[in-house]
Amino acid sequence: MYLPAAELHQTTTLSEASALLQRYGPSARLLAGGTDLLVDLKAKRVEADHIISINRIEGLKGLVFDDTTLRIGALTTITALDESAVVRERFSPILDATQCMAVRQVRNLATVGGNLASAVPCADLPPILIALNASVALWSDTGERLLPLNEFFIGPRRTARSESEILSGVVVPEGSPGFGAAYIRFGLREGNAIAVAAAAAGVQLATDGTIDDARLVLGAVSPIPKIATAASQILIGAKPTPELFTDAAHRAAEESDPISDVRGTATFRRELVSVLAARAITKACQRAQETTR
Amino acid sequence: MSSALTLSVNGQNRTVVVEPFDTLVDVLRDRLHLTGTKKGCGVGDCGVCTVLLDGRPVNACLVLAADVADQEIKTIEGVADGSELTAIQKAFVNEGGVQCGFCTPGMVLSATALLEENPQPSTNDIKDALAGNLCRCTGYSGIMRAVSRCDNYQTNGVCAKKVHALPKQRDAGSDYRPSSKAGTSVGVPMPRVDAADKVTGRAIYTDDITLPNMVYGKILGSPIANGRVLSIDTAKAAALPGVLAVITGKDVPDTQYGVSPARYDEYVLAKDRVRHVGDEVAAVAAIDERTAEMALELIEVEYEELPCVLDPYEAAAEGAPQIHDRYERNINTHVEQSFGDVQGGFAESYHVREETFTGNHIYQSPLEPHASIATWDHDGTLVLYSSTQTPHYVQYMMAHVLHIPLGKIRVIRPTVGGGFGGKAETTPLDLCAALLSQQLGRPVKMVYSREDMFHHGRGRHKQHMKFKLGVDRDGMIRSFESEIYLDGGAYSSFGVATAYYAGSVLPTLYRFPNYSYDGYRMMTNKPAAGAMRGHGVPQPRFAFECLLSMVADDLGIDPVEIRRINAMTPNAMTVNEMDVGSCEFLRTLEAVSEKASWDTKYNKLPKGKGIGIGCGGFVSGAGYCIYRGQVQLSHEKGREPFQKKSIFPHANAIVKISEDGMAAVLMIGAAEIGQGSDTVLTQMCAESLGIPASRMRIRSEDTDISPLDLGAYSSRVTLMAGHAVSRAGVAVFDKLRPYAAKLLDCDESLVEAHDGIMFARGAEARSIAWEEVARQYFNDHGPLVGTGAYKPPDGLGGNYKGSTVGTSPAYSFGSAVCEVSVDLETGKVKIDQFTDYHDCGTPINPLAVHGQVEGAVVMGASETVLEDVQFDDKGRILNPNLHGYLMMTIKDAPDIFSGLVDSYEPRGPFGAKEIGEGSTLPVLGAVAHAIANATGVWIKDLPITPEKILNALKEKKPAKVSAATQH
Repeated sequence: MYLPAAELHQTTTLSEASALLQRYGPSARLLAGGTDLLVDLKAKRVEADHIISINRIEGLKGLVFDDTTLRIGALTTITALDESAVVRERFSPILDATQCMAVRQVRNLATVGGNLASAVPCADLPPILIALNASVALWSDTGERLLPLNEFFIGPRRTARSESEILSGVVVPEGSPGFGAAYIRFGLREGNAIAVAAAAAGVQLATDGTIDDARLVLGAVSPIPKIATAASQILIGAKPTPELFTDAAHRAAEESDPISDVRGTATFRRELVSVLAARAITKACQRAQETTR
Repeated sequence: MSSALTLSVNGQNRTVVVEPFDTLVDVLRDRLHLTGTKKGCGVGDCGVCTVLLDGRPVNACLVLAADVADQEIKTIEGVADGSELTAIQKAFVNEGGVQCGFCTPGMVLSATALLEENPQPSTNDIKDALAGNLCRCTGYSGIMRAVSRCDNYQTNGVCAKKVHALPKQRDAGSDYRPSSKAGTSVGVPMPRVDAADKVTGRAIYTDDITLPNMVYGKILGSPIANGRVLSIDTAKAAALPGVLAVITGKDVPDTQYGVSPARYDEYVLAKDRVRHVGDEVAAVAAIDERTAEMALELIEVEYEELPCVLDPYEAAAEGAPQIHDRYERNINTHVEQSFGDVQGGFAESYHVREETFTGNHIYQSPLEPHASIATWDHDGTLVLYSSTQTPHYVQYMMAHVLHIPLGKIRVIRPTVGGGFGGKAETTPLDLCAALLSQQLGRPVKMVYSREDMFHHGRGRHKQHMKFKLGVDRDGMIRSFESEIYLDGGAYSSFGVATAYYAGSVLPTLYRFPNYSYDGYRMMTNKPAAGAMRGHGVPQPRFAFECLLSMVADDLGIDPVEIRRINAMTPNAMTVNEMDVGSCEFLRTLEAVSEKASWDTKYNKLPKGKGIGIGCGGFVSGAGYCIYRGQVQLSHEKGREPFQKKSIFPHANAIVKISEDGMAAVLMIGAAEIGQGSDTVLTQMCAESLGIPASRMRIRSEDTDISPLDLGAYSSRVTLMAGHAVSRAGVAVFDKLRPYAAKLLDCDESLVEAHDGIMFARGAEARSIAWEEVARQYFNDHGPLVGTGAYKPPDGLGGNYKGSTVGTSPAYSFGSAVCEVSVDLETGKVKIDQFTDYHDCGTPINPLAVHGQVEGAVVMGASETVLEDVQFDDKGRILNPNLHGYLMMTIKDAPDIFSGLVDSYEPRGPFGAKEIGEGSTLPVLGAVAHAIANATGVWIKDLPITPEKILNALKEKKPAKVSAATQH
């Protein structure tokens, strides 16, 4: 399995990479960790005459926390994200995703930016980051814009990133007291499995314990990570109870739009949603209660 | 555009010219000749290309070499310090962490990175660190032991060359105690003779070999499942710069080939018909593999597509597409056997239950892809390097297709990275490489991609089984009736034998007074199914074990008890005339139920937890050769009548002693494919010579060096090749007797040898060095050589059609208990624990035996709950890769206890029988039973997926409700 011929461009600045992107248009692809791109190129799912490596661009790696928001550089590897002290202390729900993703060898290469920009429907980071109200930073030579992550995905492997833009980072606000989030996914095996269905929940509890705000996000069961709006509505304003969670989860299953493939039928995926969503909400509420204490 | 690049590899700067699209794995292997980094899938699914990048493990197939010029790269070759192995390497060697060795470099590197960062890892840490490295052999047990006990190997170095010294207190899952019969080499848990090479990346597999002036070939497969080839235009491919040859069906011999002589039905390349997606249509040779791959896309083939048939029942129906003219109604093989009075047996049964079961399409998925290199000597000798488990049959079949004598074919079997039956036949790679090499006058290498492997097929037959079992009030079996449709795929392969095996081995485990078997091996438009570990038997065994447990529940008898009362006894003739010798089946049952606390757990575990039992056994080598008559070009043979005896010895060995008497070189063609045959054969030969195993070397890789051995299939090597090497050792020893007697001044009959010392029995105080006697012999006679040969006993089997299949000199037995947890909301199964006891006769090497059991447990459990090759309605494989075809990772593997019961098989060398294939057989049924016990529903359709469990639970629920309303 060999890569088709292509020209490799090493870039050291965002403007250099952006200029190349504009020059070569659809025949160019950005290379970060490579764990999606190289596989797609070998499988001939995508074609590229020009591969633009952004791996040597300074400033795209690492995490910065400024007391209210966390900025994760696009080139931060999944391992670096997972090992980050600030993530472990203040954004631990992200670990639900990093720890089930792929395997060491891939997590050491794969980047946060790549996991989002590839826009693969079963990717693990998007649901939890959306539940955490994250935004993506899109850089172009006219400046950087922030776009809520839930508006970033527009279809399978398709995003709102324009041809000249480069995803430079992710911005995640820290939740206020009473906020909790969780991500739960189902894979067919324990190690190195792709999500068959997944659910992330973010809930904000009022001081009296009722749910002030909730966001339930489904992964791998629709063309893009999907906010289950109706299910989230069921939660808002209610007291957290197992029955409520089950109701919301069943609603979420109805809202999902899964496909049938080698990993399972659409029916099975819907059933999984009704279980996983309830578990994600339960866990998110538990965590929210812990932060209020 | 290519450019020079400096990479830092193992602490040294290496400047290489690379193309921008070269991945690191290819640069390491092809430019720097660091072939310890393996290629297994190309897309990051398997982990065999793991290297460390700045200390962290990555898949070298997912990294562009040009993108990592500023990082420190460490490969397996950079791990050991000279000849001194690191602690983790020693641990892998000594704890059974190595079998075929193909995953080993990656495993060792992942473990090295883990221990660097976390010297005291927990079990979960180890599993997380190694989850990206698949292993198909060890069941991960030896690997877990190695990493968790690495500390024990930190001090006082075991050098790479001195790995034989092993403390005997190994207690990992073993309660084996060497019996009084055990000697210094036999019965000892000796580390593998090839382990040090495998943990250092020095073991050479076929794809690691580069011959001068070598070129690369690739095969084009059909995109359609059934059709006629109307025309092939190779002009564009031939015109691609770098392409040297393109061949199609018109360039290959008109001779058909296969496995069973009665059913040779394959052409090297399609003459005018394709019968499955991937069926070979054309082959190219080019200056490099990449160019060859590109050339395939330029070959233009015009097909007339025909309707395909993918289901064996539909294939048998009136009007179904006929896949081969010669197999009417697509019936490739029909078996009809009946013993005793089956209907009478049902009539007198107290309880009769009939159930249908469906198996799955299992692919062996060895981590090493098939590979071949062909080159022709100037005298017309074909030299073929092949990743095969049956060098002799490859030689035989190459001779048949190419119309040259066997003697003009030299087969070299480099290190093989696992086979499991999938490398037991001559491949299109062997044949196309030979033909292209002949045409070009240059060596040609051909390697399957992971996807090619799935299309080549030869995996386990998917079987559709209708079973009916009658028992008396106590659970004694009265009658058993079996009807099986085997999904054979598009060619015969081993299928004739598979169809017979599916019936013949079931009666060796339980006493069947009456038994009938109706088997149909059907042609379908899928890759041919072949022989896989347990050949034909695992799925029927799964079905039978499930049915027996169901019947036990029906009668309120404990599932262990129903097995106990029906268990085969020693020295028995089965209803289908299989001659059972040693049999400690009962003891395996008793031991396993006690060890697993069966009585306190069965039906007593909380909801979602379950325990189940399964049993099984297998042949210790097939009683007869695959082809009839003597070793001779098959066109020269007339139709030969079957004789109930072996015409020629199935295993043959030569031992040559070095002129100083200090080394013995054992030459035998038995194929080491990871199962450990080189090691156990070394041990047996050393024992019969009376020298330490450390003085032995084995040469098993070259038909020019070693005499014929039929190879690694039907779990035959320990027993059959074991006899040959032991006899060769005895032959040498007998030549030394007169010399030793003279030097010791004793009667020849009293001479004994032990651990390199010769002495007279009863007068042990006086002794002489073994090598001294050997030198004396050489001085007088020249070369000190002994030969040994083994033929299975004459007269095996009954006098009915197909009676030879299932015959064997000896049978193994085993019982396994499985414990599972099932998430009743998602249907997800976690296999927690396996307890297995086996009767493999007297073990030659307990470490190797437990390694086979542990590997079989994980492979068997994996195929019960995960694995299935899936097809769309056009016969295209939906998951020809290792992220769609899921095998257990180290995180999925259960904890395993492997135990052995005392046993001695008089027909085996040193009392030994088989373990490799038989150890798979109890597993599937045990898992299925445990899941049924945990969920309350039997899933009779493999694999037992979460979705099937949920569906069955749903079906069960309303049934309960309606039952309640009736009251």
